[in-house]
Amino acid sequence: MNIITHRQNLNKESVAIKVLNLSKRFEDLFAVYNASFEILQGEIVGILGPNGAGKTTTIRLLTGVFQLEDNAKIEIFGKDITKNPIKYKKHYGIVPEISNAYSDYSVWQNLKFSGSIYGITKEKIEKRSKKLLTQFDLINRMHSKTKTLSKGLKQRLNLCLALLHKPPILILDEPTSGLDPISMNLMRKQILKLKEEGKTILITTHDMREAQNICDRILIMNNGKIIADQSPKTLREQFKSTSTILIKIEGVLSIEQEKNLSKIVKFVKEKNGYHVITSEDALKDISNLYKASRENNITISEVKIKETSLEEVFIHLIKEDLLNLEEMGNQ
Amino acid sequence: MIHESINKIWLLSKKNIFLYIRKGPVLIFGLMFPFFMTLSWVIGREISLNLVFIGIIAMTSFFTATAISPVVLPIETREKSLERILSFPISLNEILLGIILASTLYSLIITSILAIIFMLLFSIMFSSLSLIFLIFLGILFMSVLGSLLGLLISAYPTDMTSDVMILVNLIKFPLLFISGIFIPLNSLSPHLVFLSFISPITFLADLLKFCVDGSNYFMFQFDIIMLLIWIGLLFVVSYTLHKRTLPKRLAETGISKKKKMMIKKNMV
Repeated sequence: MNIITHRQNLNKESVAIKVLNLSKRFEDLFAVYNASFEILQGEIVGILGPNGAGKTTTIRLLTGVFQLEDNAKIEIFGKDITKNPIKYKKHYGIVPEISNAYSDYSVWQNLKFSGSIYGITKEKIEKRSKKLLTQFDLINRMHSKTKTLSKGLKQRLNLCLALLHKPPILILDEPTSGLDPISMNLMRKQILKLKEEGKTILITTHDMREAQNICDRILIMNNGKIIADQSPKTLREQFKSTSTILIKIEGVLSIEQEKNLSKIVKFVKEKNGYHVITSEDALKDISNLYKASRENNITISEVKIKETSLEEVFIHLIKEDLLNLEEMGNQ
Repeated sequence: MIHESINKIWLLSKKNIFLYIRKGPVLIFGLMFPFFMTLSWVIGREISLNLVFIGIIAMTSFFTATAISPVVLPIETREKSLERILSFPISLNEILLGIILASTLYSLIITSILAIIFMLLFSIMFSSLSLIFLIFLGILFMSVLGSLLGLLISAYPTDMTSDVMILVNLIKFPLLFISGIFIPLNSLSPHLVFLSFISPITFLADLLKFCVDGSNYFMFQFDIIMLLIWIGLLFVVSYTLHKRTLPKRLAETGISKKKKMMIKKNMV
């Protein structure tokens, strides 16, 4: 199934998770404050944020690990779970950042225990476990103690544990954190495969490239609040107004040429030979640059426009939010 | 619904027994402690066999029952498996009952085996079978009660078993000394007898005395009622405290004090 087409087919009726006024206070501190968002069925939504932003607390509230505050409301597939959160926990499969499978249990014992708690029969647990362990290349370690597994293998086991009871929603808390590039790549491929199978996926990550590549939508959190809720493309578009142009000029510019060029655009010379221009209208500035170069006998050998990355957007938003906080603090 | 709930409690308790029975604190405080306590109490003293039997049974049931229940939650907090348990479709009640059942079974089995061996080896005689039944009923009550006491202390939201075991021992020993095992209640002044009410072991020791040689201080029915009251009280307090402290076990906000102040101002 084509991912883009799949997303286009989604409508408001296919909301998998709807969160309203989610807050969590630890003594006098809000770890999450008034967070509201929706996740559509089959969507991969990423929660980005610095450490302590409230990502994990949001997940813990969503999955019923923490109790909800009075005015908060969570709906799963249109049903209010606030009244009976335990019943709806089977809708989730959770992959934590740090493996929380029982280290003294073997891979099989962990799966057996987990499956039994969800009320799955022994035969089904065995059948599904073998299928998942084969899919995630863990079948040879079925009887190994969990504590003997590497971090990458533990994370694969966590994914198996999360999928064993066939939940429609998967919640992954920094699933690729600390993994080697091969395991990281494998995990990303598996996440995309699960999306193709129709799973709704909520993922927290620090990895901007990961978020940019696999998420349909991104929630940026800071200080317990959601400060952005857009697709990675839209987020970048919004901040595209200030793009970076890199130009390489053949030979050395004379003082006169440099003076004339700086009348057109402001640039900074970098050690790598590039002239860096921060532009608000890249196309217009490039056109003016070529015009000026012809008039001043300057040969431009290379022009690059650096697209605003999600990382730059993220840093910009966090800085902006912190500045707002500081301003309020000073008042 | 109830069947499902019982099944979950049983699965949790099986897991608790399998994973924690061999942990250091459980072996030290559950098996070695009562063994050496009894040895140091008995050796070199002229104590009747009946009294030794009562002392051994009361101490073993109390020590073994308070061995598993206090360590489960701190270990699971440290190893992050508590979060897995909490994300399962399981209620807090079921989690706590899973711990109580594991701890109770551990204590009940060890103490019962010890009681049978002692009765056979030293030919402890009972005038009726109902007295033997009462002994095992007392062991069962003490196993539940000790498990609840351990569980109550583990409500302190720490991930260090040593923190909890220090607290457990701080409470266990005074309770043992005022229970009438070492000094009979008959020879205590009335205000010290009143103090012994604080210790649930008092009622087990008294019940055992009734069964073994009839040297009980209270009526055996009173002992049973008091043990049941203690069980009910400890369960309610444990549940309430755990409900309150559970979020603190998982609270890792990672926010500095300065940032906290800024956030607070922002929220106002």
